[in-house]
Amino acid sequence: MYLPSGVYHEHYAQDQAWWRTTFIRAKMVVLFLFLLVIFPLGANLYLVSVANIIGYTILSAMGVQLLIGYCGQITLGHAAFIAVGAYVSAIAMLQYQLPYPVGLVLGAIAAGLWSVLFGLPSARVKGFYLIMTTMAAQFITVDFFITQYVSQVGGRGTFFSLPPGTIRIGPWTIDSELKVYYVMIVLVILCTTGMANLLRTRVGRAWIAIRDNDIAAEAMGVNIFKYKLLAYFVAGVLGGIAGAFWISSILAVSPEHFQFSWSLWIVGVILIGGAGSLHGTIFGAMFITLILEGLKFAIIPLSDSFPALQERFLYVKEAAFGLAIVLFLLYEPKGLAYRWQQIKNYFNLWPFSY
Amino acid sequence: MDLFLQLLITGVMVGSIYALVALGWTLIYKCSGVLNLAMGELTLMGAYVCLSFYTWGIPFPLAVVGMLIIGFILGLLTERLFLRRMVGESILAVIMVTVGLSFFFRGIVAFTWGTDTRVFDPPVFPAEPIRWGRIVVGQVYVWSFVAALVMLVVFVAFFKYTRWGLSMQATADDEMAALSLGVSAHRVYALAWAIAFMAAGVGGTLLGNINGLNISVGYLGLLVLPAVVLGGLNSVPGAIVGGIAIGVLQNLSAGYLSRFTPGGIKEIAPFAFMVIILLFRPYGLWGWVKIERV
Repeated sequence: MYLPSGVYHEHYAQDQAWWRTTFIRAKMVVLFLFLLVIFPLGANLYLVSVANIIGYTILSAMGVQLLIGYCGQITLGHAAFIAVGAYVSAIAMLQYQLPYPVGLVLGAIAAGLWSVLFGLPSARVKGFYLIMTTMAAQFITVDFFITQYVSQVGGRGTFFSLPPGTIRIGPWTIDSELKVYYVMIVLVILCTTGMANLLRTRVGRAWIAIRDNDIAAEAMGVNIFKYKLLAYFVAGVLGGIAGAFWISSILAVSPEHFQFSWSLWIVGVILIGGAGSLHGTIFGAMFITLILEGLKFAIIPLSDSFPALQERFLYVKEAAFGLAIVLFLLYEPKGLAYRWQQIKNYFNLWPFSY
Repeated sequence: MDLFLQLLITGVMVGSIYALVALGWTLIYKCSGVLNLAMGELTLMGAYVCLSFYTWGIPFPLAVVGMLIIGFILGLLTERLFLRRMVGESILAVIMVTVGLSFFFRGIVAFTWGTDTRVFDPPVFPAEPIRWGRIVVGQVYVWSFVAALVMLVVFVAFFKYTRWGLSMQATADDEMAALSLGVSAHRVYALAWAIAFMAAGVGGTLLGNINGLNISVGYLGLLVLPAVVLGGLNSVPGAIVGGIAIGVLQNLSAGYLSRFTPGGIKEIAPFAFMVIILLFRPYGLWGWVKIERV
């Protein structure tokens, strides 16, 4: 770990602190100021809505990052747990008139338990077979239970829409992009710090041990089954939070938002960002969202000669995303987080980089 | 009983199409160890290429041949450009490359051909159904069955009797030994992808003839997975039997179980079945028993 010279820690607490030098503290204060004050005040509605999409992607990908990046359990069905969170919190609010924070917590817990249910086979199978099981989780949950049964609850049709004013935290009604942004940023900060702290504890180290070599971990006394299920639970909770946030953002919930392709999308996001890194989750989400938004502007000048580009932008976006995953895996397999470390190292060691 | 026979026969006929696509999947897995999640998009590509040729007025058999040639070239290109560098990478990286390819291909297909359902116009096969006693089967099913069988026989003969097919078998069996005998592994991988593209293209074309062609034909690529899990991942006969079994299972569950649920059982039954197989017999019917438990 890099530390500038002249930093002397006198207590373990200082040594283990998150922000260890004045420079880092100042940097983080500036970052928080930017996220909480400058950006929301200065940005226009469009930028705020893009930021909300980034936040949703970060929240969705966080659980996948935990499972794939830290626990080594490949999952291709995470959208199912996001969907469970979204539906449980929506039903809690619509059918039982519970307040939004309660719905969010209920959704998160329900998603966590549902995720544990599908994590059970992970005790027996791994690799390809585990991937198949998680895919089955996706189809059984979203395409069967939610589409066919849960959507019938309350007779609203498959598309649950939340009347304006339903989503409120205490007296504070969340009805504009800016307020959604604040909910998002608080959730992202909570989840990220929660994850980062969790990864420094016994639990996190056990996960990393399982990822690196499950047989060795077992031999060293890590209860693999327990920790794998715990990983599924936490990942499901994070997915549930993402789902519950999503309904506050678009005030509706429908099975179409949680298709298999969204599961694949968030796995792609963490691979682009870098598996096994929390920075990676955030970088990946920002990179892919911003690139695709940028693409939207890039094709505007072309749209006079090729109007199809604009009409079918959704598919251009899909193709670009697919190409981005492939190219990243071929040329930058460790993701953006690794590149970020390299850049930081360069400046830390400059001008004597040997 | 009539209903059962009816469902069974239709199931076998649709299942033979699945078997064809599953064969392509197994081939890639057997030869190069790549778990391909882009199979559905390969079927889409092939089917739309064939449809385009057909709507330009090229007769159907020639359109299929043209599609096969283009599929062959695309298969070689895909392997050369994207998969060759991934040899020996982690399972997640390889799978995600195919996922990336599937997004890429699906984007291209939807961009080029749109998302509306397209049909082969004029219909390739006569609409008049064939009757055996009280069982009625559409001609398109019968012809698809015949076509799929012909393709399967051609592929199996190719593996058994040609030099290329034998070198593929050798690589699948023991790559190191095959290399030492002068078999080019890269060429085998490329050929596996080319054949997978061709098989998937034929499968997609046949399904497009049955129900019309839209982006959801790509769902076939996911149905292949239960089929190969049932048959055993690296078994060619297993893929064929598994494909037919999944077709039958799908039809039977649609016929008998759909009254108990609001719907969607047809889509979900193969995956529920797959989970059951994974729990009790993860290596399928004829796969190599090589399961590591921790």
